[in-house]
Amino acid sequence: MTTERMVAIGAGGDLVGPDDRLATADMVLNIGPQHPSTHGVLRLQIVLDGERIVRAEPIVGYMHRGAEKLFEVRDYRQIIVLANRHDWLSAFANELGVVLAVERMLGMEVPVRAVWVRTLLAEMNRVLNHLMFLGSYPIELGAITPIFYAFRERETLQAAMEEVSGGRMHYMFNRVGGLKEELPAGWTGRARRAVDDVRRRLPDLENLLMDNEIFRARTRGVGVVTSEMVHGYGISGPIARASGVDFDLRRDEPYLAYGDLSVPVVRRTDGDCLARFECLLEQAYVSLDLADACLDRLAALPPGPINTRLPKVLKVPEGSTYAWTENPLGINGYYLVSRGEKTPWRLKLRSASYNNIQVLTELLPGALVADMVAILGSLFFVVGDIDK
Amino acid sequence: MKIPGAGLAKGLTVTMRTMTKRSVTQQYPEVKPELPPRSRGVIALLEENCTVCMLCARECPDWCIYIDSHKETIPAPPGGRERQRNVLDRFDIDFSLCMYCGICIEVCPFDALFWSPEFEYSELDIRDLTHGKDRLGEWMATVPAPPAHDGHGVRPKEVDAALKALDKPARERPARKPAPGPESEDAG
Repeated sequence: MTTERMVAIGAGGDLVGPDDRLATADMVLNIGPQHPSTHGVLRLQIVLDGERIVRAEPIVGYMHRGAEKLFEVRDYRQIIVLANRHDWLSAFANELGVVLAVERMLGMEVPVRAVWVRTLLAEMNRVLNHLMFLGSYPIELGAITPIFYAFRERETLQAAMEEVSGGRMHYMFNRVGGLKEELPAGWTGRARRAVDDVRRRLPDLENLLMDNEIFRARTRGVGVVTSEMVHGYGISGPIARASGVDFDLRRDEPYLAYGDLSVPVVRRTDGDCLARFECLLEQAYVSLDLADACLDRLAALPPGPINTRLPKVLKVPEGSTYAWTENPLGINGYYLVSRGEKTPWRLKLRSASYNNIQVLTELLPGALVADMVAILGSLFFVVGDIDK
Repeated sequence: MKIPGAGLAKGLTVTMRTMTKRSVTQQYPEVKPELPPRSRGVIALLEENCTVCMLCARECPDWCIYIDSHKETIPAPPGGRERQRNVLDRFDIDFSLCMYCGICIEVCPFDALFWSPEFEYSELDIRDLTHGKDRLGEWMATVPAPPAHDGHGVRPKEVDAALKALDKPARERPARKPAPGPESEDAG
């Protein structure tokens, strides 16, 4: 009498399988593209089976500015302007790689005070970078409050950075052979106070979040990066160390004054989103301690210059070198090839985020859409650093 | 055993504690921020010092400085000969292109360019961001004195040279007094 009929409406509604069950088609979903300078967004093309991700492909290049090509028609001071912009959250560390490469090619001895100030500013820059992600990652998970705490700390450190360099993000304070100018009188005291203030208040951020049940539920066991993936994709920085990879250039191939400091390498073994976030938080504390150690050493150093007098036209001798530094987000390398001109013949940039996000193709399949946001955010990338 | 929701309560404790403290928000349009003297807000031009050497325009990484000039003949003083000098007609900086790197200020050999922390010059049209020498000159009034240097540093060569010149007896000094200008702090 009555026959059971399957009614399906909407897209794919006519796709009724042979066993009378609704046949489903995979859905291709584009995440983005957003405006490329928006924080933490990247175009992802994902194929969904219901709520589960089957395939994911990051599509990069929306913010490609041709930095490497632009380097080739700029002299070494002008390159610093461009180089500190690809990863706008770690401008100081980006400048550093360029000047280290040029100084090595010139065989130039950098004044010892400049080396310690550079180390200090690099560590303060690392804290600034990490604070940004410590604030923005919870937002991606729906917790709005932490970013206000993170930005309060950022503002404290930025004030110190602005006083010494004049810039809040693009410091432009490195020069070949040292730094742009002498520190302002009394700055070291104010920098120490800023570091102390941030160290004192950082537990607020930690207490807001680290025991939060919702935060832990969203991040624990989600998006596990194995150490094989780290080696396979060339992942570096806090993401690699959260997967148990014990590698930090500051300790393993010391540059600047890191050889004279003991750099504790922060590691976790779980490799999930929570481990990555914990790494970032602990690294911020470590960097504050390193900054303090630099300030101690600076106070004990004999008076001396902070830069070197350069010739009017700076030419780098023929040859090539590769200078890599432990940037806040991972390894940042510059391969400099010079033919004795005042511009480089080639300056290859190896940026951390570009390698780090490649793992998404392997990390996302199998995850739920809701977890995608957690995973994407926990890879701590800057779009400019991917697209260069 | 952990009490459910203890982590949330811990977070709320931070919120409660922060509520009892003064807010750190700055009421910007009413209260102006205190910016350090090195703050890179806008580039000011001291027109009298400019000799139209074009170094700034040439060294600018994105070529956002436009300079036009003409030559002017100064009539010969008695017993002398006539001289030519450059007169600045146009000195424009396109702040929509400017990357605020400060290279122009660094290379200027005659201290004609300065950083000013002034930042309130936004415009509704990108074309209005090109400012000429009159506007750049107005900003000279906002240029702060450079901060004193850290005691651990060495004195700049220029200061040493100036002090040495001062120590010389007056008659040994050249007759023409050098024009008093702001001390160069970062030349070279």
